[in-house]
Amino acid sequence: MTLLKLEDLHVEIEKNEVVKGVSLEVEAGEVHLLFGPNGSGKSTLLRAVMGLPSYTISRGRVIFEGRDITALKAHERAALGIALMHQNPRPISVKLRQMVIELSRKFGSDPDLIRDLNLDGLMDRELYKGFSGGELKRAELALVLLQRPKLALLDEPDSGVDLESLRLVGRIINEMADRGVAVLLVTHTGAVAEHLRNVAATHVLVNGRIVASGELPSILRTIRHKGYSAFEG
Amino acid sequence: MSMPWSIFESGKSANYLQRNFDIVRLFVAKRLAEKGFILEPLEKAVEREWVRKLLWKALPAREGIVKGAFVYVPPNTQISAPLSMCFVVDRGAQWVHNVLFIGDNSEVTVSTTCLSAGEGEEHQGFTEVYLGRGAKLDYITIHGWSKQTSVVAEVGVIAEEGSTINEFYVTLRTPQALKSSTRIVGGRKTNILSSTLYVTGAGNSTLETYVALEEGASAEILSRIVATRGALVRQPITVEARGEGARGHIECRGLQLDPSSMVETIPSLRSMHGGAQLTHEAAIGKLSREELEYLMSKGFSEDEAVTLLVRGFLELGIKSLPEALKPQVTATLDLIAKAAKG
Repeated sequence: MTLLKLEDLHVEIEKNEVVKGVSLEVEAGEVHLLFGPNGSGKSTLLRAVMGLPSYTISRGRVIFEGRDITALKAHERAALGIALMHQNPRPISVKLRQMVIELSRKFGSDPDLIRDLNLDGLMDRELYKGFSGGELKRAELALVLLQRPKLALLDEPDSGVDLESLRLVGRIINEMADRGVAVLLVTHTGAVAEHLRNVAATHVLVNGRIVASGELPSILRTIRHKGYSAFEG
Repeated sequence: MSMPWSIFESGKSANYLQRNFDIVRLFVAKRLAEKGFILEPLEKAVEREWVRKLLWKALPAREGIVKGAFVYVPPNTQISAPLSMCFVVDRGAQWVHNVLFIGDNSEVTVSTTCLSAGEGEEHQGFTEVYLGRGAKLDYITIHGWSKQTSVVAEVGVIAEEGSTINEFYVTLRTPQALKSSTRIVGGRKTNILSSTLYVTGAGNSTLETYVALEEGASAEILSRIVATRGALVRQPITVEARGEGARGHIECRGLQLDPSSMVETIPSLRSMHGGAQLTHEAAIGKLSREELEYLMSKGFSEDEAVTLLVRGFLELGIKSLPEALKPQVTATLDLIAKAAKG
């Protein structure tokens, strides 16, 4: 059974349509990359799949494990096994340690899952306040892992991170996929792609629509040599 | 006078329980008593002249208040286990006068709990602390009041040169009317940390803090107020620098969970010396929609997200806690965050 199926999804933010009819299928254990220029609707798509209240699905459906979850709230979708790694969250008035405790309790996960992410020095800090780019990405990834998701929506896990962190992020995504977790990953530069073992499909989102889907190498080559305009028209 | 108190053969610390005007329990570990540590009723302690001379030096004098605890920690004494004191009013009024004398270079942790229940109408508590040179005191106060109780709680501290006080105040339940006041006079090179976590519903509260700093002394005053439906809270905080190199910082934050609440924070800095450095920051606001949505995306319902944010807001107001008291404070935070959400 297809894990995630988006059917002609239209998403509005404050009545402005940003995603304009996206259809997509992701199977368990598959990694899908989503490229696109700034403002093309990549993050909006992930947030709408997560069910964030500010993102209104005006048309289409989100199907998860065969069930229509379009009307479910974000926390209900999380309970089904969907997790979102935010791109650049603002500080949250909770210590990272407390988030780890609460998520481990809620999802029955072992805090040991996140040992490799080197977060010990951040545990008693206010979440994301003064975090470096790499620290923020590692902390967000840790919280996703603690949710034990079936589907991980990763919004630019490779932006603003150093090469070492990038390798770590790549390794963790590979391990998630090995465990059968489906990954829908938004990337701006494709920097993480070279650290991923198996990418099932790569999509290009321009102006709220998927304008191309295919193999990673050919899509990446086109973006690098001709830019996103090559997919338009 | 027959005393309901005894010396523990075993045990590490001491405790005192007063219900209304009666001392219900008073224990001291034998090993502490042998070091010269004293915990006894104040009315017995004042039989010593030096204790009588101490009275009402750290707070304005009150007439006719004789019940309460007297604590004496001899110089150069480290007490690892927290000393615990508890005051309960369940009928009429309770007036309490406590005196704590911590000798030079001694270290002690004191945990005080004040509660009302049943027909407890009034609690007036006055605690005076004398902190010797180089001494260190962790002083935690937990309040839990019935709605009908009227509360006056005053703490006065005279801290001698090089001493350290870490004062921490948290409320489980607030009454209809509460007036608390903390007055700390810090001598040369003293270190003062004062933290207040106050979560309140309908009622009128005034939380006043005054800290004076002599040469080279430093103070950090942290406050977190959570106001729910019908709460009126006023919090004047003054730090006064009296000497060269004195440093003080006030950080007060208010969180309004209900539009009917009123929070007023009044940080005030007074420098009597050009070489002092004083700063403050204050902010009052409501829960951020963005933070709520973030937590909901992590699997928390809106109610759970509110509880988590209130708890986090309070916890981030704690800078330092003695290890021995961390479990108690953690449990307290869980309770009051849930209660604040209603």
